[in-house]
Amino acid sequence: MFQPMQRAFLLAAGFAIINTMGCASPASRESMSVQNVTVIKKHPYSVSVETKGGSETSAIDSPGISDADLKAAIEKSIIDSSLFKNIVQGKGGDYLLTVRVTQVSKPLFAIDMKVDLETAWSLLRVADNSIVMRKVIKTTHVSTMGDSVVGVTRLRLAVEGAARENIAQGIKAISELDL
Amino acid sequence: MKKILVVLFSLTMLSLASGCAINRATATVESPSALGNIKTMYVTKLAADGRGINSLIADKFSKHGYTVTTGIEQPSNVDAIVTYRDKWMWDITMYMLELTITIRDPKTDYPLASGNSYHTSLTRKSPTEMVDEVVDNILKQGK
Repeated sequence: MFQPMQRAFLLAAGFAIINTMGCASPASRESMSVQNVTVIKKHPYSVSVETKGGSETSAIDSPGISDADLKAAIEKSIIDSSLFKNIVQGKGGDYLLTVRVTQVSKPLFAIDMKVDLETAWSLLRVADNSIVMRKVIKTTHVSTMGDSVVGVTRLRLAVEGAARENIAQGIKAISELDL
Repeated sequence: MKKILVVLFSLTMLSLASGCAINRATATVESPSALGNIKTMYVTKLAADGRGINSLIADKFSKHGYTVTTGIEQPSNVDAIVTYRDKWMWDITMYMLELTITIRDPKTDYPLASGNSYHTSLTRKSPTEMVDEVVDNILKQGK
């Protein structure tokens, strides 16, 4: 039915279409949250979490990290690790954890998608308004064709991986504090 | 055969693309008073920067009343270090696609404030305009 050259072309075209199909979707809170992180100390206090500097993802954009999803991922990670006694919504907790996304470096074209993420973590003791931790956390994650052949999916996986590692390092740093 | 190769090349390039483009300009600061005590700044030049973006940033902060120096060796006697990352694309000519500027605590490297602008080809801005936009957005947040 098809000549060898036509067959090769159709195969290549099919592969390329698979690679490009689909719109960008944001990094998911579930995939960014950390499981099985080892905490050194568990703090018997409540904490509220706020996030800044994230960006929403539209269908024509590249995958980003929204403030809401990052907040949810950090909260879930704190709960799962028992780092704090409980999470308080709003500003009524014993501590206020603020995480700002300060830099996300994403490729436009790549086979291996490498994402660099930098965040600023600060922990405030609400009672005396004192900052007990300020830390910059830089993480990198690379997603390969083995993770997904679809470009936007590969990039989203890289963003999620960098965020997951970032949250893990943040939780570990807080668990090392004497509060 | 030539047509097939062109189509294949185009599809391959599309397959490597991570998504389409968008324009945005954002900035965050640690707190409204985070930049209040800063009088002197040092803009750390990126080794790969052959376009003098560090000078544009230094000039812009100078216009806002800061005492700014720039170079590749960080001094110890400044109130803040400014770092940046620029990303360029080609579309008929080269243009600055994205610029991120971060103001840092010189002792800890902690980001006190950061701003990012992203403009694609059709709404491209000159490097000076990109720097103006990012710095103005940061300082607007910090007041």
